[in-house]
Amino acid sequence: MDPDAQLVQLCLRGDGLAWEDLVRRHTRRIYYLCYRFTGNRHESEDLTQDVFLRIYRTLVNYRAAQGTFATWITSVARNLLIDHYRRTRRDRQTSSLDDDESRVQEQEAPGRKPDQLAQVSELSHQVQRALQRLSPELREAVILRDLQGLDYREIQQVLAVPEGTVKSRINRGRIELGRVLEQMGIRPE
Amino acid sequence: MAWTCEQIEEGLSDYLDDLLGPAERVEFAAHLDSCARCAPMAAQVSRLVAGLHRLEPVEPPPQLVTAILDRTIGPKLSKKSLFGRMEILWQPRFVLGLATVAATLAIVFHSMGARASRPTLANLSPASVYRSADRHAHLAYARSVKFVNDLRLVYEIQSRLQTQPPPEPAPEPANAPGQQAPAKKSSGQVNHAIPHGPLPVLCAEAVVNLQQRWVR
Repeated sequence: MDPDAQLVQLCLRGDGLAWEDLVRRHTRRIYYLCYRFTGNRHESEDLTQDVFLRIYRTLVNYRAAQGTFATWITSVARNLLIDHYRRTRRDRQTSSLDDDESRVQEQEAPGRKPDQLAQVSELSHQVQRALQRLSPELREAVILRDLQGLDYREIQQVLAVPEGTVKSRINRGRIELGRVLEQMGIRPE
Repeated sequence: MAWTCEQIEEGLSDYLDDLLGPAERVEFAAHLDSCARCAPMAAQVSRLVAGLHRLEPVEPPPQLVTAILDRTIGPKLSKKSLFGRMEILWQPRFVLGLATVAATLAIVFHSMGARASRPTLANLSPASVYRSADRHAHLAYARSVKFVNDLRLVYEIQSRLQTQPPPEPAPEPANAPGQQAPAKKSSGQVNHAIPHGPLPVLCAEAVVNLQQRWVR
C-alpha cells in the first residue's frame, strides 16, 4: 500500500503526527511547483500553504484507487495555481522575479564542481524567466513533465485532459521554451 | 512512412521521451539526419530537456512546514521545534543558575531541619520551622564556641612550648646535708610557674591548667 495512503488513513483517524509527516513529505515538491509556475517566492509560500489547507479540508475525499496522493495534491496545486494566475493576471509583471535567492541555494547543491554549479544556476535563472513568457497551459505541462518528473499518465490525471492534449502541450511547451531561451541568448549545454 | 517536417515537430517529444516504436524511431532519426530545418530544432529541444532535468529544486523556507501546520492543525510543538526549545536548558549559563538555586534551596531546607528522605507537611508549619531554626542556630553557636576554644588551647600550648628554655643536661645535685628539701605543693595549689619536663607531660599539664582556668 502507498505510504501516503496509509498516512492519509491515520490522518482521518485524527493522528496529527501522520499529517505532519504528510506535510513534510510533499512541501518541497509543491513549493517548487508553485515557484516555477509563479516565479515569486512569497506567492509560492502562500500558495503552498493554501494547497495544504485545501488538502486538509478535503482529505476525506481522497481515493487511493483513483491515483496516488502525490498526483492528487499536484492536481489541487495546479488548480490553485491557475486560479491564482487568472486572479492576478492584470497586476502581474512578468519581470518580477526574485531568483537571486534560488541562485545562491542552487550553488550550494552538493556533488558538483563550482563551474558546473554556476552553469546550472544561470540556466535555472534563465529558465525561470523564460517560463514566465509561456502560456499557463504550456508552462504547467513543461513544469510537470521536465521539472517535476511526472509521466504522461500522471500529467493527464493532474490536468484532466486527454492524453493527446498532454503530449501536444508538452511538445509545444518545450519547443516554445527553447525558442524563448534562444531569443534570450541562452543555449543549454 | 515518410515523416514531414510538421509531423517531426509534433512528434518530437515522443521521440525524446522514447515513446515511438522501433520502426518509427528509425524513420524519425532518418528525417533528422537529412533535414536542415528539423535537426537544429530537435538538437535544441534535446539540450533543453537535458538541462531542465539537471536543475536542482529550489528549497522552501524552513518555517514553511511550521506555518502549514499552524494553519491546519493549529499551533503545536512539532518534534523538532520542541527539541529546539529544549536546547536552552542545556546552555551552561542556565545550568549554572539552576545548580545555584538548587544549592541555595538545599541549604535553606537543611537549616530548617527538613529531611529530603522523609518530607512531611508538618515541617512547613511556622512553629516547626521556628523551633527547628532556633535549635540549629544554637547548635551552630555552640559548635563555633567550641571550635574557638579548641583553637585557643592549641595556640596557648604552642606559645608555652616556644617560651620554654631548652633543657639543661646537668645532673641533679644531691642534697647537701643541712639543706632542706623543697616543700611539697599542696594538692589544691595551682602551679603557675613554667614547668620543666618531657613534652607530653608539659602538654598535659598545660591542658589541665587551661581547663581549670576556663571552668572558673
